[in-house]
Amino acid sequence: MYTRILALFIRYKTLVLGSFPRILSILWWPSIQIVLWGFFSAFLDNQNVSPYSTVSVLLTAVILWDILFRGQLGLSITFFEEIWSRNLCHIFITPIKNSEIVIGLIFTSMIRTLIGLIPAIFISIYYFNLDFFSLGFYLISFFFNLIFTGWSIGFVVSGLVLRYGQAYEELAWVFIFLLLPFSCVYYPLDSLPTFIQNISIFISPVYVFEGMREILINGYLNSNLLLKSFILNFCYIILSIMFFNRMIEKTKESGKLLNYGE
Amino acid sequence: MREILRVESLTKTFKDFTAIDNINFIIKKDGIHGLLGTNGAGKTTLMGMILGLIKPTLGKIIIFEKNLEFERFEILKHVNFTSPYLDLPKKLTVEENLQFYARLYGIKHIKNTIDKLVCDLNIGDLLNKKFGALSAGQKTKIGLCKSLINNPKLLLLDEPTASLDPETSNFLRDFLMKFRKQNQMSILIASHNMLEIEKICDTVTILKKGKIIIEGAPKTLIKEYNFKSLEELFLNIPI
Repeated sequence: MYTRILALFIRYKTLVLGSFPRILSILWWPSIQIVLWGFFSAFLDNQNVSPYSTVSVLLTAVILWDILFRGQLGLSITFFEEIWSRNLCHIFITPIKNSEIVIGLIFTSMIRTLIGLIPAIFISIYYFNLDFFSLGFYLISFFFNLIFTGWSIGFVVSGLVLRYGQAYEELAWVFIFLLLPFSCVYYPLDSLPTFIQNISIFISPVYVFEGMREILINGYLNSNLLLKSFILNFCYIILSIMFFNRMIEKTKESGKLLNYGE
Repeated sequence: MREILRVESLTKTFKDFTAIDNINFIIKKDGIHGLLGTNGAGKTTLMGMILGLIKPTLGKIIIFEKNLEFERFEILKHVNFTSPYLDLPKKLTVEENLQFYARLYGIKHIKNTIDKLVCDLNIGDLLNKKFGALSAGQKTKIGLCKSLINNPKLLLLDEPTASLDPETSNFLRDFLMKFRKQNQMSILIASHNMLEIEKICDTVTILKKGKIIIEGAPKTLIKEYNFKSLEELFLNIPI
């Protein structure tokens, strides 16, 4: 089992390390986001428009949102690479199990996300004086909650692409930006119109960002927020993996899996 | 175990089109079975089902006396496939590709296994080249190498010598025959090269519109239907 998961990871690592544009896309975007938002929030801080540090709240939100975004993209892109290289057919005739593919994708996405975030966190700490680790133990909990949401979206998008074709690849980017306004990344839940709040309460990242603001602004966290996020994420990740498995089986019924190699 | 593969009442329907229509056949241990048919006869669909890539609508596939539907992962450890129409990852070198598949098949001594196959197939000079940079003939050779990496007990080949020059075709055919004898491997081969099929197959199945219309040993069939070659028989199939 471990050999096959490792095989998927090594194959992806070899592919990325052999391609400068791929390395750049992993490292560049999180860092450039931090730089842009860092300058903007530093400017707001200088204007004294807020009673608390805008740099702290905005940059922490940017980094946390990027965990979700990179987690999702890391999983989807890793899966798409197999479609782009017309390799799915060969993979599915090996004794690999769906669960091993799922774990391989999760593992690769995790490493990809961490590699992308490390330079961004480094820049935010050393250049913009962000005390990112002031979130303490909660940071770990935020990280896993957000990356779980990212993986859930990644599995749904990958399943749709597998079942309905490469035209659905766009969803990898669209899904995230559809989610963004409802996720309360940069503003509190109660600042939204009621009908949007009614949707947002089912979106797990909302509770992470509410929690982040509670810690950074008030210095405490209502643990109910984290509990809600965990419950929602647990449901979403289970449902999304079930969906992904179902899409693999549906693709086998339609005979399309063989076409992905041609 | 005298039978390697048994296909029973196999049917595959795509919406209102029946690609495979209630077919039955057997491949004996160490046997080479040819699959013939015009384009669209159902050869690829049949192979896809035997590889577990396509779910049958009806019927069952028994490989190594195990039902593919329930023991897929145990069976696939000892099955492999290659086709010149299917690519391997282009951005990886030949060696990286072979290592990747060796890991997926859980091979223990990866380097030794690859070295042995590479030496036997005389492809050592291609190991460090990117797969995407190879010629069609070289890709076919690498595909064959990949398909033997798990020392399969059942090998499925789709047009194994397409795009190869006659010399390389002969070399690969001879290599396969030798490998099969040494490793007690059974082969299911789909091809349009009638001469090749006639030469190497113990039994053949001719498909038309998803149905088996003729099956048997090539020599017996040629004699029975009073033709000079398998090609002549194929072109004048009595339905």
